[in-house]
Amino acid sequence: MIHSMYYLAQILIVIILFSIQTTWLGMFSIGGVVPDLALIWVVYCSVHCSRAMGIGSGMMIGILQDSLSGGLLGVNTLSKSFIGLFFSALKDKFYVEGVIPVAFFMIVSSLFDGLVFYFSMNTVLEGEVATSFLYQALPAYSFYNGMVGPVLFIVLNRLENWLKLKTLDPYMARGK
Amino acid sequence: MPNKGPKGRKNIILVFSILLFSLALMSISAKQQEGLSFLDSLAGLILSPFQNLFTQSVQSVSDGIDHYFDLVNVSKENEQLKLEVERLVHEKNELIERISRQKRLAGLMAYQDDRKKESLVASVIGRDATQWSKVVVIDKGSRHGIKRHLAVVTNSGVIGQIIHAGPTTSKVLLTIDSRSAVDSLFQDSRVSGVVVGTGEEQCEIKYVPNTAKIKVGDRVLSSGLGGIFPKGLFIGTVSQVVKKKQGLFQEITLAPSSDLSKLEEVLVFLS
Repeated sequence: MIHSMYYLAQILIVIILFSIQTTWLGMFSIGGVVPDLALIWVVYCSVHCSRAMGIGSGMMIGILQDSLSGGLLGVNTLSKSFIGLFFSALKDKFYVEGVIPVAFFMIVSSLFDGLVFYFSMNTVLEGEVATSFLYQALPAYSFYNGMVGPVLFIVLNRLENWLKLKTLDPYMARGK
Repeated sequence: MPNKGPKGRKNIILVFSILLFSLALMSISAKQQEGLSFLDSLAGLILSPFQNLFTQSVQSVSDGIDHYFDLVNVSKENEQLKLEVERLVHEKNELIERISRQKRLAGLMAYQDDRKKESLVASVIGRDATQWSKVVVIDKGSRHGIKRHLAVVTNSGVIGQIIHAGPTTSKVLLTIDSRSAVDSLFQDSRVSGVVVGTGEEQCEIKYVPNTAKIKVGDRVLSSGLGGIFPKGLFIGTVSQVVKKKQGLFQEITLAPSSDLSKLEEVLVFLS
């Protein structure tokens, strides 16, 4: 019961992140570019949760993002699942904490996310994305995610600690 | 070392499973978009109350931030007075907002009457969930008579088409999205072309022959071909024309009829 409350709270965080992404975030756009909160959440989950949850959240967030973007399903599912898998494997080998490592890995995952979109659109799907996307929108998007990522990581870390204290057994929460 | 084999195999299986699953999703949704639209509807149903709440609170939050900066250096003696002024300003803003909304709605109604087509006014409650797509969510859905491939306009002109209609919300693919294509013609020269989105703030017009006389400022209208947009709707204005010596067609950039990043109310043609 206590565990289910913890997971329910995490689902609520995802819903709130998506709501912010689709409403408020436009106010903070720089040249039409906004950060991808869902991507940051997937990287956060992969680094802080179990391998299964990292990959699972990547897949679920990807499907949700595909559903909300009105395009063909699969593009975000593919990129977010791979990002989940990559960071779940990476967390045992590298130290993904602190501002600079998080910013660096956010930039790398954003580049990967954009490249998957670009190649999917230009090969598998109907659309056609201009090459300027690769040297204009994509670097700006990656840099923006690299800036916002560490901040959101700190907020999510504090929120998660608070959630664990409130919903999990205090002994277990301290152990984690 | 002995554990590396099974772990590596597990990873390879995972990578292939993700690839297969994603490609299967892509091909299924490409073939039968209607079949998977329940996912869109479900996501819309879950998110729309939150989106409504967040959109409505934007104005009050931005007012709060503005006033916070104004009030930083206010002395205690003037606090009451400032708060009174703030309340009046807030009221005034609300009234201005109401008046401007009424004006926008009146504009839409006049446009609706001019077109003599059955249509529905809807408010924009959300934007695309990804950086790459140019989609807005409106607060009307299939319960209000909205279905796929209906034209969406403002009193300035075409803004896009419905790509998914959930029970209470719908998604509008904007003309600047790279998946959008609208058959069009130039108002003066009557030369035809296809307006396609670039994924950025502007569109391009394709398949306009090098021999056609097109200049910056020319107005582009919908041609009526394709069955989605009625003939004669304003799409945008030519902002750049590049004629290359090689090649058959000109490279024409089009500024959309209205600022698509600031949409608030739209009109959906129901037929």
